[in-house]
Amino acid sequence: MITVYSIVLTIIVYIFARRFGRRYSSPLTSPVFFSTLIIIILLVGSHITYHEYTPAKKIMTYLLGPATVALAVPIYKNRDLFAKYFVAACVGLLIGTFTTILSAIVIAKCFYLSKMLLLPLTIKSVTVPVATEIGKIIKGNVSLIAAFVIITGMIGAMFGPKLLNLFKIDHPFARGLSIGTIAHGIGTAEAVKEGEIQGAVAGAAMGIAALLISFIIPYIIPYLL
Amino acid sequence: MVKKVLMFSCQIAILIVIYQMGSLITRFFSLKIPGNVIGILLLLVLLWTRVIKVEQIDLAATWLLKHLSFFFIPIAVGLMTLGPIFLNKGIVILFVLITSTFIGLLSAGKITQSVIMKKAKVKVNYHDHSV
Repeated sequence: MITVYSIVLTIIVYIFARRFGRRYSSPLTSPVFFSTLIIIILLVGSHITYHEYTPAKKIMTYLLGPATVALAVPIYKNRDLFAKYFVAACVGLLIGTFTTILSAIVIAKCFYLSKMLLLPLTIKSVTVPVATEIGKIIKGNVSLIAAFVIITGMIGAMFGPKLLNLFKIDHPFARGLSIGTIAHGIGTAEAVKEGEIQGAVAGAAMGIAALLISFIIPYIIPYLL
Repeated sequence: MVKKVLMFSCQIAILIVIYQMGSLITRFFSLKIPGNVIGILLLLVLLWTRVIKVEQIDLAATWLLKHLSFFFIPIAVGLMTLGPIFLNKGIVILFVLITSTFIGLLSAGKITQSVIMKKAKVKVNYHDHSV
């Protein structure tokens, strides 16, 4: 019963948030952030714990895997574009990935954060399903990893497009690459709304960044922390 | 209408099978690469070799990608369990996440764009010479 209620609630809130976000476009109304906030408030209000919400979550995220696989379609459709900007994409991806990881660790160390909080920072820009897998390999706290990854994605989705505007990064390929590399799936969902090229590039960048980080991070963690 | 629903379900099923195959490959060879990433590569190969044509999965793929945000919401609701840690160190953590995300977004975007522009300029110059 709680499961059915949770699913219906989540879907209704999502539909409402999409409409609302289209009407009053602002970082605060970006769908993942806005819906999550409302759902948490409603769950707490109706005395449902996250533990009780979990079965509903499992059902609703069943299609996340297939949806991720679907990213191959825009990548394939824009294959000429990737061939054309191959060098730019490689350079941007590598530098973006390393600057975000290094800056996070340096700033965190300035505040003397514990190792438990430092570990998830190294994989915060990897898409959720991949990050939790790497998390097991590097022995990090899985719920903390999921939290850091999701918050990073939300920040990227909420402020990414505006930040890129501010610094005159207007090339659709560069915009998609930046958002996909740093803000993974949640950012990609936002980039898809901006345009087909942005969405395709963001999806591809998310996949490649995930590959890159899952190959490298487990081996360089001892030197980073 | 019935035909469209049927077509849509078939397309979703194809994507589910490819995803499951990706997960299976990861487990079978105990790869450190996640199943969904293998799934993307698998579908790319299938599209490239024309085993699957884009039109055969376009409907479902477009729909799923349009609603990609939806699937992250139930996961994000999990943040409600992390109250204590965030009460304690929340502001510092947020500060670290926001600054490092901004730095990453800007460096990735700026560098990609400048490499693209440089390449475009070189081409223009070359063209000018030939004229």
